[in-house]
Amino acid sequence: MLRSLMRRKLRTTLTVLGITVGIWALMVMSAMANKLTALVDGGSTYFNDKILVSDATNPAFGFGYVPMPVGIVDEVGAVPGVAVAAPRVHFMLDPEDAGIGFSASDFVVAFTAGVDRGHETFRWEIAQGRETAAADEGRRVVMLGADLARKFGKAPGDRMLIRGTEFEVIGVLEPTLMFFDTTAVIPWSAGQEFLARDPAVLAEFGPEPPELTSMVIVYPEEGEDFHALIQAITAAHPGMRGVTSDDFDDQFGSTVAILNAIILSVALISIVVGGLSVINTMTMSVAERTREIGIKRAIGASRGVIMRELVVEAGLMGLIGGLVGLGLAGVVVYFANDAGQTSGTILFLMTPWIGALGVSFSTVLGAVAGALPAWNAARLDPVEALRFG
Amino acid sequence: MAFLEAHNLHKTYRLSRNNHVRALRGVDVTVEAGEMVGIMGPSGCGKSTLMHILGLLHSPDLDTSPAPSLVIDDTDVTALDDRERTRMRAERMGFVFQSFNLVSTLTAAENVALPAEYAGRRKSDARAEAMDALRQVDLGEWAGHRPMELSGGQQQRVAIARALVNSPDLLLADEPTGNLDSESTGEVMALLHWFNREQGQTIVLVTHDTRVSEACSRVLTIRDGVIT
Ligand SMILES: Nc1ncnc2c1ncn2[C@@H]1O[C@H](COP(=O)(O)OP(=O)(O)OP(=O)(O)O)[C@@H](O)[C@H]1O
Ligand SMILES: [Mg+2]
Repeated sequence: MLRSLMRRKLRTTLTVLGITVGIWALMVMSAMANKLTALVDGGSTYFNDKILVSDATNPAFGFGYVPMPVGIVDEVGAVPGVAVAAPRVHFMLDPEDAGIGFSASDFVVAFTAGVDRGHETFRWEIAQGRETAAADEGRRVVMLGADLARKFGKAPGDRMLIRGTEFEVIGVLEPTLMFFDTTAVIPWSAGQEFLARDPAVLAEFGPEPPELTSMVIVYPEEGEDFHALIQAITAAHPGMRGVTSDDFDDQFGSTVAILNAIILSVALISIVVGGLSVINTMTMSVAERTREIGIKRAIGASRGVIMRELVVEAGLMGLIGGLVGLGLAGVVVYFANDAGQTSGTILFLMTPWIGALGVSFSTVLGAVAGALPAWNAARLDPVEALRFG
Repeated sequence: MAFLEAHNLHKTYRLSRNNHVRALRGVDVTVEAGEMVGIMGPSGCGKSTLMHILGLLHSPDLDTSPAPSLVIDDTDVTALDDRERTRMRAERMGFVFQSFNLVSTLTAAENVALPAEYAGRRKSDARAEAMDALRQVDLGEWAGHRPMELSGGQQQRVAIARALVNSPDLLLADEPTGNLDSESTGEVMALLHWFNREQGQTIVLVTHDTRVSEACSRVLTIRDGVIT
């Protein structure tokens, strides 16, 4: 089998290359989609148990950056149906960052550990060091998301500047595949220090600003209708907005759908291109081997044997193309992610599943594309075929 | 009943709607087991056509009256479908062609092993049988060589080994010496003769060569599609 592929090195190579490019594109795209899907799924899951309440003038989706006196937390907490309302300060690590990006921004989040009173269902894993605790209030310590830690090359014990202030790194999170990966978590008190120095805050609240929060994280009571609760909150506090997982899905689900559509088109194109080139190659190969097929039929090869031989050969081309494509995709993903590490964003998520699926897909594609020429070959009249060449 | 009995074989090749060639026009042949029958006749008289029908590669015209019959070793082969005919070709027939028809990418041994594999033998067994067959045609040393590396006479001996690897009931050879010089012709004929005499191999062969036909136990002559 391999031998007859080797016999036509150039043509086989080109065909395999055609499949390779298709599979390569398919896998790189899938890896990208996979990462984004994970990001969106993660976000959606994160929003599942809570409502993010913030000032309606905030530029970005969901997260709030506009500071409000912390008294709002108790007011929102008093709305019937709210189990716990927790304050959280949220701002960009880089003051220049407009915060419009979805995954590209680095965040600083400040809250007192345990302020959710056990209602938070999202759990992170600590990779190194420890997580921030209530006892850290008053200290300048930071727990870094996985991508941030890698971007800045920090480990527990290291010192790190956040907007000009020195912090001690006490912990690093495992990747969460969501915004926590690019987030620096600091104590509530440290967050207040930053706000108290912020020019916009000073302009609005004067030189001695009150305690401020940029979001109220609302954990509704059991069985509460989230949207009804959002309405109740915004009715009581005009100028506020509430966001939960449905809104998140509305916002980002369509992006993922579009991306999946793109992946699907790439897959279709690779089916058509790869498939046609296999059909072409196998048709030529059959034409070239007409006589050989005639010989084999004459000395007792059944149609099935001839078919199988050619289909396996075509499948082999698909398999080789798929493996090479997988290899190349792996290389691209590896280097892109490696390059991405400096900026802290992993762009691709390559899973064994994508690889296995891609390779089996291209093998089946090759075999299916080879089936038609193979069937034609198997039906040749042996005597006619022997007359060939 | 004779080993092979054919009656009223016709074969018409349709070239177009009203243009056809009647290659066979009512052939009756009987071959007894152990015979070596030669078929002679001018070019285009239908010798190969007859061989293709006897070898189950083609069917005779079925719309003749009386209907054709072809019984080989008590099997009525006109009734067989493609699958059964293929199986019979693999297990009970051997073919030798004028132009050797070895698979060029395979070694001599691999070529010889093919019919054994098609007959359902395991690869290792097929390989061993192929080696035996090659030794019988005195080419044991050449098992690993490709057809390109062999002389015409050697290639035809490989083809004979391939035809005989499954110990077929019937060996069909269509001008087996047609492409050979006189020395190789002598070798190949000696070989066929030996298989016929020593192993009782039934052989039907087509030839133009009177030297070849002299080696046969009986010679049939075809002219214009009928045996004369
Ligand atoms: N596939 C075919 N289509 C049309 N005509 C054919 C076909 N095969 C054979 N013929 C014709 O049938 C007749 C008999 O051909 P056949 O090959 O049986 O002759 P032959 O006796 O073997 O000749 P040769 O000695 O040249 O090999 C010839 O006229 C030939 O042209
Ligand atoms: Mg002929």
